[in-house]
Amino acid sequence: MAKLNTIVAILIFAFSLGAYSQTTTWEVSADQAAKKNPLEILPKNLALGRNIFKRTCVACHGEKADGKGLIQSTSLIDEKFQKQTDGVVFYKISTGRDKMPPFGAMLKEDEIWSVINYLRVLADPSAIPPPKNVKLELTTGEEIKSITATVLSADSAKLPLSEVDVHFYVKREFGLMRIGEMSNYTGADGKVKVFFPEKIVGDSEGNVTLVVKIENNFLYNDNETTNVKKWGMPLLSHEGEFSRRALWGARDKSPVWLLLLANGIIAIVWAVIVYVIYNLFRIKKAGRIFFK
Amino acid sequence: MTDLYRKEIEIKKEQFQYLVSDLNSPLNRTGSSFKIWIGFLLLLIAMAGFMYVRQLQQGLGTTDMRDIASWGLYIADFVFLIAVSLVGSLITAILKLSNVKWATPLTRISEIIAVAALIAALLIIVVDMGRPDRLWHIFVHGRLQSPIVWDILVVNTYLVISILLLYIPLIPDLALLRKTMGHKPKWQQKMYKILSLGWQGTEEQFRIMNLSLTALMVIIIPVALSIHTVTSWLFASTLRPGWDSTIFGPYFVAGAFMVGAATVIVTMYVIMTNYNFKAYITDEHFDLMGKLLVLTSLVYLYFNLNEFMVPAYKMKSGESAHILGLLVGEYSVLFWSVQILGMILPILLLIIKPFRKPKPLMIISVVVVIGAFLKRFLIVTPTLLHPFLPVQNYPESYHHYNPTFSEIMITVGSFAGIMLIISLFIKLFPIIPVYETAHEKGFPNEIINNS
Repeated sequence: MAKLNTIVAILIFAFSLGAYSQTTTWEVSADQAAKKNPLEILPKNLALGRNIFKRTCVACHGEKADGKGLIQSTSLIDEKFQKQTDGVVFYKISTGRDKMPPFGAMLKEDEIWSVINYLRVLADPSAIPPPKNVKLELTTGEEIKSITATVLSADSAKLPLSEVDVHFYVKREFGLMRIGEMSNYTGADGKVKVFFPEKIVGDSEGNVTLVVKIENNFLYNDNETTNVKKWGMPLLSHEGEFSRRALWGARDKSPVWLLLLANGIIAIVWAVIVYVIYNLFRIKKAGRIFFK
Repeated sequence: MTDLYRKEIEIKKEQFQYLVSDLNSPLNRTGSSFKIWIGFLLLLIAMAGFMYVRQLQQGLGTTDMRDIASWGLYIADFVFLIAVSLVGSLITAILKLSNVKWATPLTRISEIIAVAALIAALLIIVVDMGRPDRLWHIFVHGRLQSPIVWDILVVNTYLVISILLLYIPLIPDLALLRKTMGHKPKWQQKMYKILSLGWQGTEEQFRIMNLSLTALMVIIIPVALSIHTVTSWLFASTLRPGWDSTIFGPYFVAGAFMVGAATVIVTMYVIMTNYNFKAYITDEHFDLMGKLLVLTSLVYLYFNLNEFMVPAYKMKSGESAHILGLLVGEYSVLFWSVQILGMILPILLLIIKPFRKPKPLMIISVVVVIGAFLKRFLIVTPTLLHPFLPVQNYPESYHHYNPTFSEIMITVGSFAGIMLIISLFIKLFPIIPVYETAHEKGFPNEIINNS
């Protein structure tokens, strides 16, 4: 009983300690709190911030940053959090506490600042204008295999749009494979170019499907253009290999020797069994003759 | 002269009737202890059934089988039961074909053990399935190249042959039951009548019966060897430390004969004491079965030596974790207990004649049976815990396997099911062959037929 009491006491102490550390204020020195965010709230920074948020924060803080991830955590969109200065949030992300890891060791300063910008926008979406439609064109260079995306305004003026993040993919069997960088920004002429990597396997004739996307953008609606090119290495067919009879073959591709051996054994054994069962009827018949 | 002859016939008839009523006595005596025993078995089976329904509802998560140890107690139980079932062929076919006469009273015991163990084995393999509703896929989509398909074929074939080998020698006894069990319930009399196939004991009937029996006894030996060889191939045909062995077939068969002999000894002891069959299952029988157990154990010991000594001498890098785990590591206590208590010590003791008396022999056999079951566990589980490919990013608990209460209860239920089948069989049919015993005691067929 004394043992049990000790255990209970330790448990209560441990829990209260945990609760204590959760409720104590997180002191941040004045000079840290006064730090200014060097990044402006620009689509480019926001996109970077979102990418990092999706990669490192969502697991605990949740998709909406409301603190409802895999574990219960602080809401990053409520008033209490949002009224902290950028400097305070920067310090907290960098140093971490309890289950919050110190991200200062993992992320560059600019990256942390961009996450803070993203969190500001997430809490107040009205900070950015509603997204617009764009026209997305795809052209290819043949000499050196390259893909150029051109982003133009969707109206009749067709003005080139700069600083738009474009994603490039190659279609694979079960999804899309990214080529180029995580973010590729259009230049002043509205164009961005990536090179097609070597040794990508296509279909049996070497065709690959190129996909260019504008996605998850703050300023523009999602857009997608595809193009099929004979740029890949042809997929070597092993049809002959797989269609022959072998141990690894399908049900109807058993080796002949196995079919003969297995079915031969089954036939012999079951012939004996059938013969014995037939004999049971003979025994019965023999008894009837005796009666007459 | 004729009077004397007639008198002799009368005496023989009386003796025969006494023999029949003696051997059929278990059918007529159903005391309360038997009912309690059946109730106890049904309770165990009901608990296992409850656990299985729970497993069906919640999935195999109710077991401790996880990604690494994906086979556990159920598969160990399956291999054990297949091993036990091999005794049917050992006693009825191998001994009989070698003209060993003393084993006659044990044939039916060993055959009913074989049939009951096979039924339980077929059930436990379904229990091990996560989706038993897809069992029919094996028949529709199964590939002849897969050892699993061979196993299903051979186990079912062996079950059919075992049932026939149990049934056919029973026919003359059923004819006797048809005549003497007039006081039994209608369904039971009807069952005897149908199953006895109108047996009259004519020469023609005996000829056909003996022909059938010989055919079965010849065919059951290769089938019995293949049933356990194919079961061993389920392991040996995969590239795993400890399973990647060329002698797995004979290793399993040798182990099966050992545990089978031990199981028969335990069963015949229980039957002998319970039904007072000392006159039929004599000390001589125990002595000879003890010698048979020593012989089969020695063969098994030889295979064990090969199975563990050679890999342990080489200590191949991939296998060393597994072998060291057995010899000095996590499973060493269990391993050495099984090898010493379950194999070496029984051999040493049973060489000495006093230990082959019924009671000590029975106790030793119980130890052998328990050891054999744990040995199957040692064959299945430690290997799975040491795969050749490195295991990463699994929870710590996945690296160990400890059967859950649910698994243990279902396994116990399978044993209870076997005992239930045997117990009910004893109450419905003579467990010691009446006709064969009478025939060997020199009663002529006329007396047997006309009594």
